[in-house]
Amino acid sequence: MSDTTCPSCGAGVAADAKFCESCGKPIGDPATAAPTTTAAPAAAGDDLGSGPISAPTHITPVTAGTPAPDGRRPCVSCGGTVGPDTYCEQCGTKQPSERDHFRETPAPWVAGVCDRGIRHTRNEDAMALLASPTAGERAVLVVLDGVSNTDDSDKASLAGARAAREVLRTPLPRGMGTPESRLSAVTSVFADAVKAANDAVVGFTPEGSEHPPSATFVAAIVEGSVLSYANVGDSRAYWLPDGGQGVQLSVDDSAAQLQIEAGMSRLEAESGPQGHAITRWLGRDAPDLAPRVGEVTIDADGWVLVCSDGLWNYASEPDALVAQIAAAATSEPEALAVALTAFANAQGGQDNITVALARIAGQNAGATADQGHIDQGESHG
Amino acid sequence: MAEFTAAVYQNEFLPDGGTDVNAIVTVTCAGAGTAGQTGGGSAGEIIIVDTSGSMGPETMAAAKQAAQAALAEIVDGTWFAVIAGSDRAMLAYPKVSSGPGMVQMDASTRSQASESIGAFVGSGGTAISTWLDLALTLFASVPQVTQRHAILLTDGENREDSNKLDAAIRNATGVFQCDCRGAGTDWQVGEIRRIAQALLGTVDIIPSPELMQAQFQEMMRTAMSRGVADAQLRVWTPQGAQVLFVRQVSPTVEDLTDRRTEVNPLTGAYPTGAWSDESRDYHVGVRVAAKAIGQEQLAARVQLALGEDIVTQGLVKATWSNDSELTAKIDQQVAHYTGQTELAAMIQEGLAAKAAGDEATATTKLGRAVQLAAETGNDEATSKLRKVVDVEDEKEGTVKLKRTVDKADEMALDTASTKTTRIKK
Repeated sequence: MSDTTCPSCGAGVAADAKFCESCGKPIGDPATAAPTTTAAPAAAGDDLGSGPISAPTHITPVTAGTPAPDGRRPCVSCGGTVGPDTYCEQCGTKQPSERDHFRETPAPWVAGVCDRGIRHTRNEDAMALLASPTAGERAVLVVLDGVSNTDDSDKASLAGARAAREVLRTPLPRGMGTPESRLSAVTSVFADAVKAANDAVVGFTPEGSEHPPSATFVAAIVEGSVLSYANVGDSRAYWLPDGGQGVQLSVDDSAAQLQIEAGMSRLEAESGPQGHAITRWLGRDAPDLAPRVGEVTIDADGWVLVCSDGLWNYASEPDALVAQIAAAATSEPEALAVALTAFANAQGGQDNITVALARIAGQNAGATADQGHIDQGESHG
Repeated sequence: MAEFTAAVYQNEFLPDGGTDVNAIVTVTCAGAGTAGQTGGGSAGEIIIVDTSGSMGPETMAAAKQAAQAALAEIVDGTWFAVIAGSDRAMLAYPKVSSGPGMVQMDASTRSQASESIGAFVGSGGTAISTWLDLALTLFASVPQVTQRHAILLTDGENREDSNKLDAAIRNATGVFQCDCRGAGTDWQVGEIRRIAQALLGTVDIIPSPELMQAQFQEMMRTAMSRGVADAQLRVWTPQGAQVLFVRQVSPTVEDLTDRRTEVNPLTGAYPTGAWSDESRDYHVGVRVAAKAIGQEQLAARVQLALGEDIVTQGLVKATWSNDSELTAKIDQQVAHYTGQTELAAMIQEGLAAKAAGDEATATTKLGRAVQLAAETGNDEATSKLRKVVDVEDEKEGTVKLKRTVDKADEMALDTASTKTTRIKK
């Protein structure tokens, strides 16, 4: 039965297997098959045609992180060594497959965790990150939340997140010099990213699917002191300055949001029967792909957080998130992402959880806040 | 090169708050080869024959023949020796008084040894500790022998302080394996079983002399087919877990729980002795801390180790579920061997009670044994039990002790009590 062996753990696997049944690692070309822990630099010959017209003057190289020699992370439960049989060698906890739990740390100041949670049988969330080696220079955080009970939305969401990241790899355009033209140029780039993600999601739609895969979309881009963001659906971007007033930047496309706008309390709306019904999404049956886009100047130390509802279900208000960040007591993005994921799992882990973070420290503090720049959640369409 | 495989049979689903995990792990060895021929060191065989005065002429003649037949089974090149045992142990072959106490088998040493066996004369008492001690000394005199095995034949009760035998068993444990056979009915099953169990061997009764030769041939043939010199069963359990028990349950029931030696704080090693091409089943019970519904965790890694190399591993899992249809099932293998283990205990305890004159207890226990033997399909146990008790209702386990029982039948039931049957997988 075993036609070949897994390069990670040595277990027998079928010749056409994409993942090892035993350890969950991808088989074959890891550059294409693996949810890599670091973003690959744009290779020569990359198709930049789907990117913005304002071509980059240079492409920020992204350094590769160093995965553990055997490619296995420490135990998600106790931090112990994980055996080739994918169970912890200390506490015996079953380790999630690479798709069920993966992390990206493209630079020390940017990291994310994408986790299955407890109740769901597979991880349909996805994440794709990019970061310059220099802290605060440039980071891209993309999160897609695949809609459960649709076909293959786990594969679709991951492909979508990566496709969007490719579009967002180059610096955002500056526009014609006015805030309006700048926002319009940025909106156009985010629209391209959403389109690329949507194409990837639709590409995973099985023929004749009654439940075509669909997903939410949220992306945040840090470029120095400017934070740009866009979303479709109810995955969110937050700016959470240290010791300051945190703010939810994205505005959900959800029934709950409509109810909030009609006057219902956030708690009531988000916990109501329609709390998780989204009004817009990516996929073959998407009603409208235009993202809500906005920009904000970040003038303090703090955290840029991009997450799926698996996290914000348990801490929707910015203050509640700030409290969890304080409780985690770390300034390491990966450690904080792990801690926030653990928090959501401890609360029940009812949904897939994705937490992507960029740590803003030092570089922008003292810069003048340009409040006029803030444009919360106005989409161009 | 021998190949080992492991298969696990268990119901991994535990109810909310459940902590105890049971599993049967079948370890199978293929391509074991021949003892001493696999490059890991030489094999050594010692034949120990009771030559006390109690051995009648017929038994002695049969014992000589049997020992000579066993010699014929020893593969050329194997180191060997022959001990004549009475109230002291004599090195019958090779005839040396210093230096290596074993020689390598070839045509000439085989015929010389055969001659020495032919000269056995019965006299004196029975002090089995001295036999084991001498075997230990002989093995120690040939360091290149790493796979050590003896076969021991006795016909009588050990006539010495039981502390001496205990000490000899202790010294020999882990050094050599020993298969034991009792001729006739004047020996003590409990005593000889103690030796065999500690020294990872078998015990059986040879009720009449004419059966002796075949038994010895078979014992030695089996020993020679054990090409894997020594192996350990290793059981890893997670931090905070407790190993409730580790038992070999097939081909015989042997409780290994107390024979644990620590490999590291989470892993214990249990002796298995040498392996031929065979399958053995182990029943492992582990207590783990309960986790939340939906969580999965590893309760044990059951491994076979040759030296420090893990050659195969079976994973025993625990998954907490609130689906009572999943959690209520008891794995068929686990149920089968739980029954077989109780069967062995019931037979031994029932016979012990009978010997002590406690007929009520003996009747209850042997009745339960009849019931278990039927339930688990152990036909050999059923037929042996029926020679000791009259069965009134097999399902209910109601029996009457037979008024007259052939002593050999009772001893055969006792020695065979640990033999188990398999169920079809």
